[in-house]
Amino acid sequence: MEYAVKVQNLKKTFISGWWRKRRVEVLRGVDLEVPKGAFWGVLGSNGAGKTTFLSILSNLLTPDEGEVRILGEDLRTGAKRLRERINLSSGHANFLWSMTVRDNLNYYAMLYGLPRKRRKEKVDELLHLFQLTDFAGVRFDELSTGSKQKLSLSKALLNDPELLLLDEPTVGLDPDVARRLREHIRSLHRDRGVTILMTTHNMKEAEALCERVALIHEGVVKACGSPQQLKKEFGLGDSVRLSFQGILPPSAFERLEGIYSYQVGDSICRLVVDDHHARLPQILDLLHRCRISVHDLQIQETDLEDVFIAATK
Amino acid sequence: MTFRSRRPIWKMFSSRLQSECIKTQAFVFKNWVMAKRNIFTLFEILFWPVVGFLSVGLLTEFAGLAPQMKAFILVGVVSMGSVQVCQLDVAYVLLYDVWSKAIKHGFIAPVGVRHLLLGSLVMGVVRGGTVLLILMGASQSFFGFNFLLPGSGPLLLFTLGLFLCAATIGMLVCILVLVFGNRADVAAWSLVSLMLLICGIYYPVTILPHWAIFAAQVIPLTYFLEYFRQFYGFPPVFSDPLIKGYALVLVYLFLEIVGMGLALRRAKRTGLLLKLSE
Repeated sequence: MEYAVKVQNLKKTFISGWWRKRRVEVLRGVDLEVPKGAFWGVLGSNGAGKTTFLSILSNLLTPDEGEVRILGEDLRTGAKRLRERINLSSGHANFLWSMTVRDNLNYYAMLYGLPRKRRKEKVDELLHLFQLTDFAGVRFDELSTGSKQKLSLSKALLNDPELLLLDEPTVGLDPDVARRLREHIRSLHRDRGVTILMTTHNMKEAEALCERVALIHEGVVKACGSPQQLKKEFGLGDSVRLSFQGILPPSAFERLEGIYSYQVGDSICRLVVDDHHARLPQILDLLHRCRISVHDLQIQETDLEDVFIAATK
Repeated sequence: MTFRSRRPIWKMFSSRLQSECIKTQAFVFKNWVMAKRNIFTLFEILFWPVVGFLSVGLLTEFAGLAPQMKAFILVGVVSMGSVQVCQLDVAYVLLYDVWSKAIKHGFIAPVGVRHLLLGSLVMGVVRGGTVLLILMGASQSFFGFNFLLPGSGPLLLFTLGLFLCAATIGMLVCILVLVFGNRADVAAWSLVSLMLLICGIYYPVTILPHWAIFAAQVIPLTYFLEYFRQFYGFPPVFSDPLIKGYALVLVYLFLEIVGMGLALRRAKRTGLLLKLSE
């Protein structure tokens, strides 16, 4: 399998202060392998090391230890070449305040050495893609937060990167703007086949966008897999609450598959199942055979937040 | 066969050269747009140098200085105004990014120190050259001082020397910012003022204490001023000022390019580059 990112035992400690040195160990041995063409998420709470991790991948930060290979190249020896092939867009976008949207895109396109004609085509294409055409002449300091984020994403696509690093791309945005931006990101992956590695502490966003997620906590990857795999790994299933009438034996569900746990009361039964879509027909069938009528049914799906809490306990 | 094998190399070279030029042009573009849209940059060209020049010029009138002495001082003031503005542009190439917290975007892109230096110096030469022309015109019209007296050759060599000096000062500011963070941006204004004391802008370096004369000898601006003033009847204190000036300035530029690379590596190691973007 070809990997876009292959990281082994990555460590980074920040040392601050001139007189009394303070050491903060941010990454304590991160291992991660992201295949080419994938859309992965890196989840973690504030200060978990997500941004540090992404900054190392984008060559803005030098690791203390560990091996990093990006798109088949060693980051230490091939950083120069890699800068042509990757790009980064971060939340809380900051650009030169007096430059308009078009100026900013033109400037960064020049940094990638795009000739005039290609530059114009590329900038126009990105302005159109992110619906920024009407704001092309607006200075950066006069843009809304949503438009600033769109500009940041546009900038990150100027060099048609093979690997796109997104650092909390929807942070601080209105739900509506965040949703539209997520659509843009999803279509980037779908239509252009770009490998995307995104950090976020928004679990729902990760679940909606990412094929797989890596949970970073205290500088190490605590768990890695698809949201479904992770739920299974931590024994977290969907909760099913039933109100019923009839006599339900306490051991009624023992023989059913995919039931993690259950509690049977006089008229209420609580079950935790691996996947409610798969298990509900069996449960209802069993209740029907026991001549029990169901009055009410409530389902609560487990999300990545629960997984994250379980993984970081 | 020979033709076929040569063509791709030529094409590769041509495309590489084009890419290098575009990357350099990016920094000219950035400084140009920022200068165009920020009123303080207009003040840097028109207000401060002109006010400084006029006040010193009027002081020479008031003091009733001989034309030769007046020439000595005006050469210093005009040069200083031009160097100050030119070095600011070189420093701005990093400072604009630091002030807008956008520095990381620049360093993610495949650009090198050479692009930064050349691009910003082009803009520095344009703005510094404008100041030079304005002050040259003002010195002729207000104080009857002819800046063109030494002739076009010496003037060109002197001006080029000034701009290269400005490049070394601006680069030093950039290095300091990459080492100490944005608190070092004051160096963009204070370094030149320090030179005002040592390089003999208003007075010959011979009146300075010994240690200061030594300091003046390691600053290329001292030699360029010495060189230019000899055309106004001031024999140089140091021998071969032009050669020494250029030799020093080129050595400094080389060391600063290396130093900037090292400072950048350090900033990546300590995380300062990220801090400057937050």
